Amino acid sequence: MKKLIFILILFVPVLVLAGQNNCLTCHQDFEDDDGPSHIFSRDVHSQKGIGCVDCHGGDASLEDMDEVREVRGYRGVPSHREVPDFCARCHSDATYMRNHNPALATDQLDKYKTSVHGERLYRNNDKKVANCISCHSVHEMGNGKMPHSSTHPFNIPYTCGKCHSNPEYMAEYGIATDQLHNFEQSVHGKALLEKRDAGAPACNDCHSNHGAAPPGTENLAAVCGTCHALEAELFVKSPHNDAFNEKNFPMCETCHSNHLVVKPSDAMIGDKPPSVCIRCHSDNDGTKGLETAKAFRGMIDMVVAGREEAHIALREAITKGMMTTDEELRLKEVDQALIQTRTQVHSFNMEDMSPHAVLGKALTDTVKANSAGLIDEYYFRRKGLGLASLFITLMAIGLYIKIRRLP
Amino acid sequence: MAKKDSSRRDFISWFLGGGTLATLGAIAYPAMRFINPPESGEANVSQLKLPFGRPEIQAEPSNGKTFKFGRDLGIIVLTEAGDLRAFAATCTHLDCTVQHRPDLGILWCSCHNGRYDLDGGNISGPPPRPLEKYVVNEVGDDIFIKKEEV
Repeated sequence: MKKLIFILILFVPVLVLAGQNNCLTCHQDFEDDDGPSHIFSRDVHSQKGIGCVDCHGGDASLEDMDEVREVRGYRGVPSHREVPDFCARCHSDATYMRNHNPALATDQLDKYKTSVHGERLYRNNDKKVANCISCHSVHEMGNGKMPHSSTHPFNIPYTCGKCHSNPEYMAEYGIATDQLHNFEQSVHGKALLEKRDAGAPACNDCHSNHGAAPPGTENLAAVCGTCHALEAELFVKSPHNDAFNEKNFPMCETCHSNHLVVKPSDAMIGDKPPSVCIRCHSDNDGTKGLETAKAFRGMIDMVVAGREEAHIALREAITKGMMTTDEELRLKEVDQALIQTRTQVHSFNMEDMSPHAVLGKALTDTVKANSAGLIDEYYFRRKGLGLASLFITLMAIGLYIKIRRLP
Repeated sequence: MAKKDSSRRDFISWFLGGGTLATLGAIAYPAMRFINPPESGEANVSQLKLPFGRPEIQAEPSNGKTFKFGRDLGIIVLTEAGDLRAFAATCTHLDCTVQHRPDLGILWCSCHNGRYDLDGGNISGPPPRPLEKYVVNEVGDDIFIKKEEV
């Protein structure tokens, strides 16, 4: 029995120490509170049970760093250029990833090599260009579903903006640094960052993430068309497609800008400023451009004005307490017709556009007429109430006289 | 003088009699209106009979037709297999109206390329939620739509 107690006293501390992560024990001693060893518990890898040695090699049970460096497979801290391959040891290994995160793709490194970042890293050995940890951070990485993560959709513009909004940092690359500022003012930025619409695009939705590069001019139909499918389809079939290609105009961007895509307004169409049509078209350019633009604007204005009148009439009917369900739904159909009318602008063909505008106008006329009918019915009911009140009063007087005359 | 009094009494009697009848009418009329269904649907309904049948849906180029369902807009589509399926027609992204795309076998929102499968599931694009699916019952030539019980 004494022997057993002696053995336990001797070996239990050894067993405990063998299971201890000496990397954290030592590094936490000399690192600041925001150092890797302190923040690693927040890292998605740590949460999945992946520890220091899985990436850096070595042996976490050893206390002496010199001994750790001697361990076979010790990788230590990778250089800037080595980082992508360092991460890809696991992330490009389909078998390994299947066991840890089967839903995650394993082509990040291949894509990275095709990106502007990757090309500059490998071709120019550019030490400033982004590698994995520039965007994903290091030792406190999250995934795109974690709100604190640098790759969560709401954080991506600021992740990219860390470098791309820094004029000093970007000076040697000769590219603009106003993308983030413009994006914040854009319809996409407002939807994503203010309305918190996770369906709105962040930088990576147009530029790709690991394969990040500016979309080619000739590919904008596919990029913008990911969401704006009908507009892109109509444009590609339109006469503008060839004209833009001929002049090397980027298709969507020429009228809508790129990072600063503001919410399109009807004022963008027409033959007067601030129409975008007059940037290229003039009265004497030998095309029907301005004429068509003016007609488009007329059609849209017709539906918009009709909708406004219908809305006012309907609101009055609602205020008067009438049952307006049918007209409210019809107004939704007007909205739909107006969306379709505006979308058909991208066909640049009056024959395609006018049926939608005519339908919208007809629907607004119906809403107006029916709302007016409901308002008339309201006044009819009020007059009826007045007459009924008078009638009841006369009845009461008659009853009073009748009772008085009873024997 | 007596004749004038008699005439006034008659008038009051007729007036009171007529008034009583009118009052009874005013009570009976709303009751009759209540028994007869109104031309337009109620504001909040959980089921309805569609004002059209399968031939009208087939006649649409998209094999789909929208209908009013209470305060909402619904869409009923005829699948390739000949099934009728109905959904809320308002896209869960930004409230545009979805349409049936038989060429793709999906429900499609043209505003931002939102796509739903023919079970209403949001399969791609920005829509954050599936479309509400309705129960479809065909009885003879009539089609009945009902909200699914939660």
